[in-house]
Amino acid sequence: MKVRVLRNDGSKQWWQEFSVESSKRATVLDLLLNIRETQDHTLAFRHSCQMGSCGSCGIVINGKPSLACQTRISELKSETIRIEPLYSYPVIKDLVVDLNDFVNKHRSVKPYIIRKNPQELEEAPMEFRVTSAENMSFIQYDYCIMCGLCVAACPTVALDPQFIGPQALAQAYRYIADPRDEGFKERKAELDTSHGVWRCHFAGACSYVCPKGVDPAQAIQLLKREIYKRMFVRGPKVGAPVSVLAKQEKPISNQPKAPPLDFKSGVNQNE
Amino acid sequence: MNKRFKSGLLTSLNPTRYNLERWSYTLHRITGVILALFLIAHIFEIYHVTLGIAGWNQTIAELSNLGVFELIGMWIIAGSALYHGANGLRLILNELFGLLLGKPRLPEYPYSPMSLGRNQKIVIYAITIIVVAIWIWAGLYLLAGLGIVRW
Repeated sequence: MKVRVLRNDGSKQWWQEFSVESSKRATVLDLLLNIRETQDHTLAFRHSCQMGSCGSCGIVINGKPSLACQTRISELKSETIRIEPLYSYPVIKDLVVDLNDFVNKHRSVKPYIIRKNPQELEEAPMEFRVTSAENMSFIQYDYCIMCGLCVAACPTVALDPQFIGPQALAQAYRYIADPRDEGFKERKAELDTSHGVWRCHFAGACSYVCPKGVDPAQAIQLLKREIYKRMFVRGPKVGAPVSVLAKQEKPISNQPKAPPLDFKSGVNQNE
Repeated sequence: MNKRFKSGLLTSLNPTRYNLERWSYTLHRITGVILALFLIAHIFEIYHVTLGIAGWNQTIAELSNLGVFELIGMWIIAGSALYHGANGLRLILNELFGLLLGKPRLPEYPYSPMSLGRNQKIVIYAITIIVVAIWIWAGLYLLAGLGIVRW
């Protein structure tokens, strides 16, 4: 098996070819670890969980942004594997890219629940009720592991580095669709701009490469519809926090107490 | 050309290894650029009306004697307008009304994004078939103008 890696030392880049012996069940991350262990210990790449949960091993494999730990060699169906760092990110070294801008864009859309009265969250006196149907309208976007593959696949980010990007936009919609959230106006200031949501032209590459099935392209189009809609119609009425316990007939203090544990009579009651 | 922009342009215009919608996006961008260039040329043509009746008549006379290359150019513009318009309508359905996208759901492996699902693909294929059919008709119409094809 031949592996061609686009190396980068911060000032120049070059292709380097390695010959690696591996089984068909091995992943691309296994190959990279093998190369670093046996051939070139200077090869730099990120990895952590090796099970597609942390999102740190994102690289471009044969022209497609993918997670190295989730890509088996057998599914690539080629004798030569071409490995590059993620597109549209500044490269620090070899396959390690700078994710600062990516994280800052994520932060800029305020990816958390906003309430007009912040005390409701900080002191949390009661629960916010979310029905299953309401939960289903945004839970898909909760599965984002921030691997950055969607941004690398996006043709718009490639041309406009200031574009906020599919990851951040999907997260913005996740919180706007949340029935507990009241931060639409605050987020709109960031989204309704020339480098915001309108820059997306729906190539769908973000959803195609997403390793967790998040579908950012869907979220972005729904976000556009939501912004259009709220030009003419008020947003849904956001409920106040409610207490599930308050709806019960008896307050918790009046409920029968569990019998106290008897520590003196022995450890195992069955004996 | 800026190195960052150049590599970005190459990445942006390369839909290989990606989905059908990404191909559609690339074609939409290319046809958009063709139409933008055509509009500039068209405005330049319209500007000749300011040269008076004689100047305008001369421009019209020159434009009515089109050669083969001009006809090919017009055919490409016709195709660009057809594709850009038809695909634009699909995008309006997606972006303005949220149609053809499916509903958010719990992701289940193997993941298949709803927004790139069956409905979206049917519409893209339908657009392509209709546009190609009208484009061939437009080509024959232009060839009939040259007398190559009997209309």
